[in-house]
Amino acid sequence: MRLSGGEIDRSRALRFTFDGRAYEGHPGDTLASALLANGVRLMGRSFKYHRPRGVFSAGSEEPNALVTLRSGARAEPNTRATGIELFDGLEARSQNAWPSLKCDALAVNDLLSDFLTAGFYYKTFMWPRAFWEKLYEPMIRKAAGLGRLSMAADPDAYDKGFLHCDLLVIGGGAAGLAAALTAARAGAQVILADEDPCLGGRLRAESETLDGAPATNWIAGLEAEFASLPNLRVMRRTTVWGLFDHGVYGAVERVADHLPTPGVQVRQTLWRITARRAVLAAGATERHIPFRNNDRPGIMLAGALRAYANRWAVSPADRVAIFTSNDDGHRSALDLAAKGVEIAAVVDSRAGARAMGDYRLLAGAQVTDSRGRLGLTSVQVQHGNGAEWLDCGALGVAGGWNPNLHLASHQRGRPVWDDTAQAFLPAMLPAGMAVAGAAAGRGDTAGALASGAEAAVKALADLGFTGHAPDLPQTEARSHAGQALWHVPGKGRAWVDFQNDVTVKDIKLAHQENMRPVEHLKRWTTLGMATDQGKTANVTALAVMAELTGQTIAATGTTIFRPPYTPVPLAVLGGGDTGAQFRPRRLTPSHAWAQAQGAVFIEVGQWMRAQWFPQPGETHWRQSVDREVLATRKGVGICDVTTLGKVDVQGTDAGVFLDRLYANPMASLKVGMVRYGLMLREDGHAYDDGTCARLAEDHYVVTTTTAQAGPVYRHMEYARQCLWPELDVQLISTTEAWAQFSVAGPNARKLLERVVDTGFDLSNEGFPFMACANMTLCGGLRARLFRISFSGELAYEVAVPARYGNALMARLIETGADLGATPYGTEALGVMRIEKGHAAGNELNGQTTAQMLGMGRMVSAKKDAIGAVMSRREGLMAETRVLVGLQPVNPEDPVVAGSHLFVQGAAQTTENDEGWITSACYSPHVGSGIGLGFLARGAERMGEVMTAANPLQGQQIALRVVPTHFVDPEGERLRG
Amino acid sequence: MADLANRPLSPITALGASLPRSQIHGALHLVENAGLALASVALRHGAAQPVPFGLALPEAGAWATSGAYAALWTGPGQWLIEGEGLAETDFAAAVLAACPGCSVTEQTDGFVAFEVISDAGEAPILALMAKLVNIAPDRLRANMGTRTGLEHMSVFVIRRAPERLAVVGLRSAAATIWHALDTAAARLAP
Repeated sequence: MRLSGGEIDRSRALRFTFDGRAYEGHPGDTLASALLANGVRLMGRSFKYHRPRGVFSAGSEEPNALVTLRSGARAEPNTRATGIELFDGLEARSQNAWPSLKCDALAVNDLLSDFLTAGFYYKTFMWPRAFWEKLYEPMIRKAAGLGRLSMAADPDAYDKGFLHCDLLVIGGGAAGLAAALTAARAGAQVILADEDPCLGGRLRAESETLDGAPATNWIAGLEAEFASLPNLRVMRRTTVWGLFDHGVYGAVERVADHLPTPGVQVRQTLWRITARRAVLAAGATERHIPFRNNDRPGIMLAGALRAYANRWAVSPADRVAIFTSNDDGHRSALDLAAKGVEIAAVVDSRAGARAMGDYRLLAGAQVTDSRGRLGLTSVQVQHGNGAEWLDCGALGVAGGWNPNLHLASHQRGRPVWDDTAQAFLPAMLPAGMAVAGAAAGRGDTAGALASGAEAAVKALADLGFTGHAPDLPQTEARSHAGQALWHVPGKGRAWVDFQNDVTVKDIKLAHQENMRPVEHLKRWTTLGMATDQGKTANVTALAVMAELTGQTIAATGTTIFRPPYTPVPLAVLGGGDTGAQFRPRRLTPSHAWAQAQGAVFIEVGQWMRAQWFPQPGETHWRQSVDREVLATRKGVGICDVTTLGKVDVQGTDAGVFLDRLYANPMASLKVGMVRYGLMLREDGHAYDDGTCARLAEDHYVVTTTTAQAGPVYRHMEYARQCLWPELDVQLISTTEAWAQFSVAGPNARKLLERVVDTGFDLSNEGFPFMACANMTLCGGLRARLFRISFSGELAYEVAVPARYGNALMARLIETGADLGATPYGTEALGVMRIEKGHAAGNELNGQTTAQMLGMGRMVSAKKDAIGAVMSRREGLMAETRVLVGLQPVNPEDPVVAGSHLFVQGAAQTTENDEGWITSACYSPHVGSGIGLGFLARGAERMGEVMTAANPLQGQQIALRVVPTHFVDPEGERLRG
Repeated sequence: MADLANRPLSPITALGASLPRSQIHGALHLVENAGLALASVALRHGAAQPVPFGLALPEAGAWATSGAYAALWTGPGQWLIEGEGLAETDFAAAVLAACPGCSVTEQTDGFVAFEVISDAGEAPILALMAKLVNIAPDRLRANMGTRTGLEHMSVFVIRRAPERLAVVGLRSAAATIWHALDTAAARLAP
């Protein structure tokens, strides 16, 4: 029923549906308040027993009223009706009920509750063992659970961002407002965040006045001042959900959740807030008092009942009762009565309790049972004169307040029980955090305001600001006396944790079964799990356990909290990085040209490289690749090899530095020449290979593999800065600066002669194999030329400033048409390097040595280098596997990388394993599959036929051991 | 044939077009700065710190300008020198001449530079920064610059003026960087 007053805008009606039925509410309503205003108390079914449930709270602690919000791809399960701002056209559906919310078939579970106790699954579904994965677990999962995902892709955009502040104030209630005001006036950079769309926290839920006027007046005044302070950022609809290392707080701002659709906006933003100091002012959550059948729709927290009346002008019923163990419960009765709601009685467990107004008080009494199948109709009260049933449509339960100290625990801070406050209070606070207001046990408004200001003044002082507590408003004197009542003893089931259907009986069973420590209790009963994380249940459960064990609550202890404080969508944690934007994409300089040719691209790390260039009529990748290989070996092929790492090495000690870095000598390299180089790791294994080109006495350019470009550069910087800072060496990456192309094939020289500027001698004598030079091409464009070959052909690598790469690629193909110029991709590149027997990533996999690669003699004994000594250790020297070539005995047979090599006829066991195939391809040059692999004593076994076993595909292929060079073993082509 | 083959090549911008890209989102203008020349300078052991083009090479975290030239500190004894509108020149050679005895490396095409200019003061720049980089605004005031992460990429960000921010990142990742800037700026536009 609607009441008078409140903060809803009655001038506008918002239409919405719940389970397909149409209702109306107003701006300012939550889904929960709007449903209550329409007389809807039944909002869901419980997790295990499918008990009818209604809204229990008025905030993010809600355990019961979980709905699926919206429909289609935007359907979001397990959304708390208490936090959903009503908008026109809102659609919500109840969950966990079939065929309908009112008539749920699985409510039969409730009749079987004696069997479905805590630990039921663990005890029951033990055998046959194999049934667990295939039958029991799927069956249980199907029956249990809350809402279901739409399984459609999320259509909305999400964002992320970074904020920095001197003081982060978490919570915009009385304490938070006072803290933010104090710090902002002092000139500090302040962020004030609250999960609610409005500032004020509990002040909006109370009838209490500030300076004799409604609290909303004071809040409005503050908001005006806040708007004028550029150093204060107020973040509404923003939940600070986690504290991480170094004072970084995670916060989710719900940018558009209050709108029907986000439109052009993002739906939510994940903020990482780096705060020098923080004030946690997250308030407190009221606790209930378990009694028999205390879970019916209409039974809720007394503070929530009051909040609905004061802020949202609604009551679940026109006649309500209050069950309390403290004075605060009486305030709910007073506020409801003031709004015209009939108070059936205030049932106060304290014998000496006194009425605070004109209502029936039953002191020294307890609620012991309730009635009403789909909604509360009456409660049973036990008092001095016996038992009586009170008719009422709602019951407010007030068992005291638990500070919301979750974030204070995110860095392992364990709360401590305080007998005076009858609550766990924050202790062992994270660095830079202070706690204020109800979160610190200062729940009275005056105390909250003062503690917020005090916390801010202290934080300001730490940061070197001078802050003064502002003049705070006068509050009403209110009593907060109470006496803890943890549960009402008796028969039947009394719920402690509504979301997980955990009862006092379950806790007793856990006690009986020796699951007494709090961590065991939680896991055995599932208490405190799921979306509400037991905000309304944990402390009560611990107290019940303490009662059973006879220990104090302090000795019983508590579980602590991890992020997130409230559920955070995975979509916003992803920060919007989906699809093509999932990770950075790097394009080669000739990407545009390759794309125009219809190239097929492959991801190589972050790079997109052309894999092959299909021609009209080619229907299979092999046709394209074979053609590219043959065209290169016959005419000339061009491949963009910019992705190989390039590091500029300069300085008077550049040669010495490279000598220490590479296993083979580099200081002796002549200016104008290139040398193949092998780097080892400290442990003696091969690390990376590449080339070193000496452009001047004090200037080298070294190349790395594409995959290791970053790590090798880092390794070099480490060596320069940490190992040998005495050397005069300067390093910088130039991978991106130069577009580099391999020009390979018998016509390579002829093609390059057409583009290089006159005066540069490309002849074999003038520019021999392994030469390098700075030169110009195409009318003065500065370029670099290296005569190196990966394919085994006469080959060059030509580099120009990257912006000219696309044009150079096009020019080479266009100019070389009569020479057979053909672009080739990474696949043909790979085929040609296998044909030539060059090691690549498959062979340099971190487990192989120079000796295994046939490069043992490259590890110079005349100088020291990283890994050189360790490469000579006994274990590595004893390794007999070396790189060999492999060719099928039957040319039709494939060669499959990853196959293991066995002597023919030998049992295929680990003991008999002789090696493995590292790289394989079809060689159009050889006319069959070929491979490279490591084989024990391989050099001595040329011509031997081995069995290549590929158990995954059931293949047994006979392969002949051959030298690694399938083309031009003498190296005449590349030197020609 | 040889004459045709040897005719000058036409460059493209980092975003793959013949002309730099630009876009306006509310108060923010995004511009691809294709004319910016870059060269790295590193002091050799014992070398005196040069003053190239009248530039007082800045300290850590700072950026300095002198006419068309600017310098960003990139490491101990290391700077990135910028030459506005000089991309088509042999900038590294010019820098080397101005920094005798230093190690100089051409970097013009190693990077792409995007300039972000606000016509409504610094507020839109700060809002954009908050969406892109984890840097406190007081650590990136005017004439400051640093290397940082942006969408899983390593970039330099330079605050050329209160209302002007440059993002200098890997040339190969130009499209990804542009997407990040364009998306963030569009979302901030009213």
